[in-house]
Amino acid sequence: MKAVKYLVAMGLIGFLLIFAFAKSVPYWFAPKMENPPQVDIHNPALIAKGEYYARVADCVACHTAPGGKPFAGGLGMQTPLGAIYSTNITPDPTTGIGNYSYADFERAVRRGVRPDHTALYPAMPFVSYMIAKDEEIEAMYAYFMSAVEPVQQANQASTIPWPASMRWPVSLWHLMYAQPREFQPNPNRTAQENHGAYLVEGLAHCGACHTPRGIGFQEKALYDDTSGNFLAGSVLEGWFAKSLRNEGVGLETWSNADIVEFLRTGRTDITAAFGSMAEVVEHSTQYFTAPDLEAMAAYLSSLAPKPGREATWQPQSDTTTAQLRNGNFDSPGAIIYAQECAACHRMDGMGAPRVFPALAGNSIVFAEDPSSMIQVTMAGGRMPHTEHDTMAFAMPGFYHLSNQDLADVLNFIRNGWGNHGSEITPRDIARMRKIVDNAPQHFVPPAQEADYE
Amino acid sequence: MNKGFISVVLLIAGSASAAWAMYSNSFYDAPPTPALEVVNADGEVVGEYRAPLARDILSEENAEDIIYGMRLLNETSRLLPDNVGNGLNCNSCHMAQGKRPLGAPYINTVGDYPKFMPRSQAVLDLTQRINGCFRRSMNGEPLPDDSAEMHAMQAYMAWLAKDLEPGQRVNIENMDYFKVGQYTPDPVRGERIYSQQCAACHGQNGEGMKDQFGDYIFPALWGDESFNIGAGMARLSRAAPFVKHNMPLGVSLHAPLGQIELSEQDAVDVSAYFTVKPRPDFPDKIFDWPGVPNPPDSRY
Repeated sequence: MKAVKYLVAMGLIGFLLIFAFAKSVPYWFAPKMENPPQVDIHNPALIAKGEYYARVADCVACHTAPGGKPFAGGLGMQTPLGAIYSTNITPDPTTGIGNYSYADFERAVRRGVRPDHTALYPAMPFVSYMIAKDEEIEAMYAYFMSAVEPVQQANQASTIPWPASMRWPVSLWHLMYAQPREFQPNPNRTAQENHGAYLVEGLAHCGACHTPRGIGFQEKALYDDTSGNFLAGSVLEGWFAKSLRNEGVGLETWSNADIVEFLRTGRTDITAAFGSMAEVVEHSTQYFTAPDLEAMAAYLSSLAPKPGREATWQPQSDTTTAQLRNGNFDSPGAIIYAQECAACHRMDGMGAPRVFPALAGNSIVFAEDPSSMIQVTMAGGRMPHTEHDTMAFAMPGFYHLSNQDLADVLNFIRNGWGNHGSEITPRDIARMRKIVDNAPQHFVPPAQEADYE
Repeated sequence: MNKGFISVVLLIAGSASAAWAMYSNSFYDAPPTPALEVVNADGEVVGEYRAPLARDILSEENAEDIIYGMRLLNETSRLLPDNVGNGLNCNSCHMAQGKRPLGAPYINTVGDYPKFMPRSQAVLDLTQRINGCFRRSMNGEPLPDDSAEMHAMQAYMAWLAKDLEPGQRVNIENMDYFKVGQYTPDPVRGERIYSQQCAACHGQNGEGMKDQFGDYIFPALWGDESFNIGAGMARLSRAAPFVKHNMPLGVSLHAPLGQIELSEQDAVDVSAYFTVKPRPDFPDKIFDWPGVPNPPDSRY
């Protein structure tokens, strides 16, 4: 009995120590700037720059719920424990960030700590924003304070149940995975590639989706280190953000011009952005300057294959086009393709340029992880709207097809026209069905009568 | 003893829950497709209809015929160059493999013919009706009545209705024939709609879009490669209902087409723009509507 009491007491003391330590972390690990610069938030040139940086950082995509007001928050993000909601970052003083000083703003964006010293969830990509230059953060502050329309909309609480919902342990995550860091240009890269690296690692925060995450949900690499993990591909909310490295399953089949065209317009002749990437293009990359896009493409092309992966994509020879044009529908996959898919994606798997993506040689189709292919087929997907094309096309969701039908047709596509990839099972489809069914609800306050004119 | 008992219980519970997880996953499947009503000749509901699945063709006795028919309906222009005089296929207008209500489906086709056609003022059988399409919509030549091709196309249509008894039909509309006449067509507005919502696929000049083999991905809406003036689609009262529910496609998440529903005014305006464009003549037009006045939206 004595031993048990002793253990309980020790456990309690240990817990209190950890609790107190975690509570203290933000104060000394990520303190507020001591001598913040005076930012002239009314300077039009600064505001214009800030608008550009805010677009590069794609603040609007996460901080706006579908159908909601810009930057008013409410977008739900699924975590393994429940949904969390993005916050209101309009300059509304009561529900937004209207009362933030520049030092508060800088600390939240680059260090992930709120003015009340609460650690932000790493869904906010402050580990990436950390390397942004002072002048960029200052410009963004001017933009948010002066040019964003204030919206009074209270933040939505997460659906993560207690005790997992307690925020103080997040400080320990910061201590482990969000160490202060500055951008390090690589002397072996050109100035253009280093500029691209600066954008990709920093404000554009490509790694937030495209870099695999570790046991602590941390990005396994924040820049191109020897592990080859940076931008090596990762699954988030049932979407596979593909490898962006210059490797067979990555961007090896993409020219730099393809990458630029894709980021600028959301599509190329053979593929199109869908899922979260469509939002990235629509809200963010379509507005990038040509030098910024070209720098990013140059940098991505310079990323060596992850150790152990094939450097180049080797398609097999295409027997599928002839098979389908000759009417050889000898398998369920082939005949389902003929009835459900061929009208748009065609017998040759080439789709229609800039309208319907090709399946032949499309790197999402032969990606090592088929999640995106499964989800876009089951739930559908939309291309981004940009000023470059009159129409944004969409793929309908084939949710109504059975797991077996979807597995058969996707395996047919994944191994057709020279593509080759791992097998998709009906159980994989069932798993995705659960993800699709449990997609987070977004929080948009009901429209009030006053909103109608 | 006690420990042994507990581990056995744990082991059984563990395997049972693992088995249950796998079992429940394998039953986590698509919900049943909503059924359409089957009605008898008196209009009474007598059953349910769900379009047969693609994979089911393979287990049909006449699978080869059905598949050939499906191919001909999908790739009419490529497979029957002697009979198709333009770039169209049957399924350019008959959407989603003829399975879509309001998209000119084939679901009731086999049972609905022979049928009185106002245009010819006569009862036509299905073979004559299909050949009407070849001569008008596909601006070509009729297929021989007893050809393997004519037989195969009808075999596909019969497969869609394989579970219907004689006299029964599925309670659907082939087209949403709304009262086009109550709208004033505005072809100028129609041209704007065309530029914004149609031209990306059908071309700014209605020329359509071809694939690497020269086959049409998107059919031409006017010009020599399009349907002739004898086609239903050349008439506003036929085109607008089609456009309303089936065009543009690939713009929403809704299966099967990614379709949206246009407003009736939009459908009328855009149809008023493209139907009257130049297109091939139909020499046999003189035999249409014999003894009755041509309808106001006829091109002749």
